[in-house]
Amino acid sequence: MGEPGMIAILQWGTLVTCTVVLLLRVPDAIRGRNRAVFWILALATLCSLLSVTGPYEAIDGALGGWNLTHLLLRFLVFAAVLLVGLRVATGLEDERGYRFIAGPAGRWALALSAVVVAGTFFLMDTRGSSSGLLGIADKGGPNAALAPFYAAAGRTYPAFVSLALLPALLATARSQLPRLVRAGALLTCLGALATAFTVPASFAPEDWFLAQQTVNYLAVVGYVLGLGLFWASGLVAKKSGNTRATFRKNET
Amino acid sequence: MPLPAKAFQLWLHRVAPSASTADLCRISGIKRTTFAQQLVRGKVAETTLVSISRALGLSPLAELASFDHYVELAAPPQPPTPAELVSQVATMDLLRAVISRSSPAYGGYGDQGSSMTPALSPAPHATSVRNWVDAIDDGELRHRVSAATGVAPQNYSAQLTANRLSPELAVATARAAGVGFTGGLVATGLITEAEAGWTPGAKQAALDALSDGELSSLAGERLQALGKSLRRHEQEQAQTEKIWENLG
Repeated sequence: MGEPGMIAILQWGTLVTCTVVLLLRVPDAIRGRNRAVFWILALATLCSLLSVTGPYEAIDGALGGWNLTHLLLRFLVFAAVLLVGLRVATGLEDERGYRFIAGPAGRWALALSAVVVAGTFFLMDTRGSSSGLLGIADKGGPNAALAPFYAAAGRTYPAFVSLALLPALLATARSQLPRLVRAGALLTCLGALATAFTVPASFAPEDWFLAQQTVNYLAVVGYVLGLGLFWASGLVAKKSGNTRATFRKNET
Repeated sequence: MPLPAKAFQLWLHRVAPSASTADLCRISGIKRTTFAQQLVRGKVAETTLVSISRALGLSPLAELASFDHYVELAAPPQPPTPAELVSQVATMDLLRAVISRSSPAYGGYGDQGSSMTPALSPAPHATSVRNWVDAIDDGELRHRVSAATGVAPQNYSAQLTANRLSPELAVATARAAGVGFTGGLVATGLITEAEAGWTPGAKQAALDALSDGELSSLAGERLQALGKSLRRHEQEQAQTEKIWENLG
């Protein structure tokens, strides 16, 4: 199978994963349970939909065909990452991580990333819909030099949030909490690691295109499956109700 | 280390030459898949041998001693020390003994071991493994076991915390402490007190022999440990709830 085939599998695989987790989460969202998590998953699904060539070109065509969709996609990713960061930091009672994301450091990181992303985008000649802006860098001129910076800036804020969450996620994965919770933390942790790796990966040579894309999609899949597992762990525990610490548990 | 399947098969052939695998599983209550898997992997768990021995009316201790790993168990068993016996009294039974010795005003009988006090529950109890090791530990025991078996101290401690100890480690621990081999096997629940040859009233007698001061201190230590473990559970519970509340 050639590289384009592999990329298509990555794109569709990510989209299917996100959609499945999102659909599983629908009943709880209707009942009003943790709607924020549902919206995070909805944003992640929308982002992975916009990463697939077909839907991207259709939507971008409707928006004028100058890849504005890609810039919007960057901001959707920022929104999803901000929500995930705040939610995970609250859930894991990670005050340090929460301060990093919600505090001045986090606001500056978000503002700078947004400004650089928008700036480089408007400096480039972006005409001609091209999912992932892959065709744009080949246009020559300033595009070739600016494209990696545009890509890196778009990934800096997600990487910042992921790095802020990593210590708490690692600690949870290594704790004595229920196994599914730890597994969820581990997957989220893998997603966060992959997200952090996407920044150096955006400067990778062209031969590494497949590896670079794999890291990108691994980041999304890790986060989404991690959230899915957190949700599933709560469901399993509610059924068996065996999580309480009691004398009986310790003295039988 | 579990028993080698080959030696186990030979043993089976000796003790139950005509029984089929299905028969053995039925009388001993072992799941057939578990049994088959152990044989295929070449490692048979000691618990399997014990269950089959019991089902055939044989002494688990004597049958275990017929294997090379456990040949030491064949010697006439050294009886458990009083400290080992007391370590196998469940925490709630210890507390009951404290109350039972108190004055009638507090619900006690003012004597030692009234006939009204309910019988002690059989070993093992929820923290029997750690309590047993603590009872025979001279301060260096864990290091000696670790040096003798190559098991890292933190892995050993993790087993104690989980109230588990492999039979091999239980025997190695007893050897390193210079006590009888049955204590660890009873504390881990591999064999019962009766199968270990402990006299029926031994635990109660050892408990009765404690002075009020000794009993109170011991009960206090146990309560402290129980409180610590309950608090840890509660904390983990709170953390988990928080995760579900925000991410579930």
